[in-house]
Amino acid sequence: MKELDKFKEDWKSREGNYPKLDKDALYQLILKRSSSIVKWLFYISIAEFVFWTSISVLTHDNKTDQLIEQMHLSIFIKVLSVINYAVLIYFITLFYRNYKRVTFTASSKELIERILKVKRTVTQYVWFNLFILGISLLAGFFGLIHYGPESEKIFNMAAENGNSIGFWVLITVICLLFIGVILFFLWGFYRILYGILLKKLKNNHRELQRLEH
Amino acid sequence: MEKKLEHIFLTEFEQHQNIVHKICSLYTHDRASHHDLFQEVSIQLWKAFPKFRGDSKFSTWMYRVALNTAITQYRKNKKRTDTYDIENVLFKTQAYEAYDPNEEQQLSLMYAAIKELNDIDKALIFLYLEDKNYEEISMTLGISEVNARVKMNRIKKKLKKIIHP
Repeated sequence: MKELDKFKEDWKSREGNYPKLDKDALYQLILKRSSSIVKWLFYISIAEFVFWTSISVLTHDNKTDQLIEQMHLSIFIKVLSVINYAVLIYFITLFYRNYKRVTFTASSKELIERILKVKRTVTQYVWFNLFILGISLLAGFFGLIHYGPESEKIFNMAAENGNSIGFWVLITVICLLFIGVILFFLWGFYRILYGILLKKLKNNHRELQRLEH
Repeated sequence: MEKKLEHIFLTEFEQHQNIVHKICSLYTHDRASHHDLFQEVSIQLWKAFPKFRGDSKFSTWMYRVALNTAITQYRKNKKRTDTYDIENVLFKTQAYEAYDPNEEQQLSLMYAAIKELNDIDKALIFLYLEDKNYEEISMTLGISEVNARVKMNRIKKKLKKIIHP
């Protein structure tokens, strides 16, 4: 078939038309997969930060301020916010540094170590967020019961009940259950959000490890 | 992978990377997917290299791994049928001309026709274009030599039909 033979000649003459990557570029190409996952971890952490900050700014008004004041929690909330933001910024910096490091990693062994580090950072980040939310909710309930608009009623009920210790235990258990459910949902949300990326990273890590040995 | 092995791999890969580029050009339709496939093949080669025992040439091994990867990826992304849509071929011909305006009409038509072949046929034609004999083709694709010859004849007929409808 002469058309095919002609094409074959032309095909061979095209040898030089393709881009030529050197060893470093090829190596980077192979390692790049992890860096794109870590990049997404970084982006998501920023998006999340922006999301929660804008929620707290948008829902912030005098009424909530008054309520917090009434509950004797304003100093507590302020301190907690400062700690929270400081730690979140620290985490974002960490995510960014992870991303930069994974992008410019020199060997697969180093990359393995760094992937492990990224995983640790994400886990710490998630636990920190859960911890802060748990503390806030706990303080909120405490304030609400002691100083909230309904607190007088609650105390009266406790007095009428006779078994006031039992009553308070019940209230505490209900509050803790409530907090537990909320934290559980947030935890589930994180598992989905970061779980997928971490799983990919884990697979990549396993592959790299297999190559190492 | 050990540092030494890593170095051997990268040196060989650097030398023979054109093979991968050529396969990518047959199995993809645009620059971005060409790049993606190139990366995927690189990773597969890298993963498979520790098992490469050197009982064949590096390039022969590379043909095998790269084609397998291309075929697997192609099947994953596959949404088109295996029929030969002439209008589609003509459309792609124009795309090829735009890519290299000096090419003769026939060459671009042939290129478009080859791109329309199914994944396995494409691999066969590719090895043929790379000047591989039937023994090498059968070894690379894991089919018998007779089967390779029969398939090749069928493909040539198919191509003829596309070019001279």
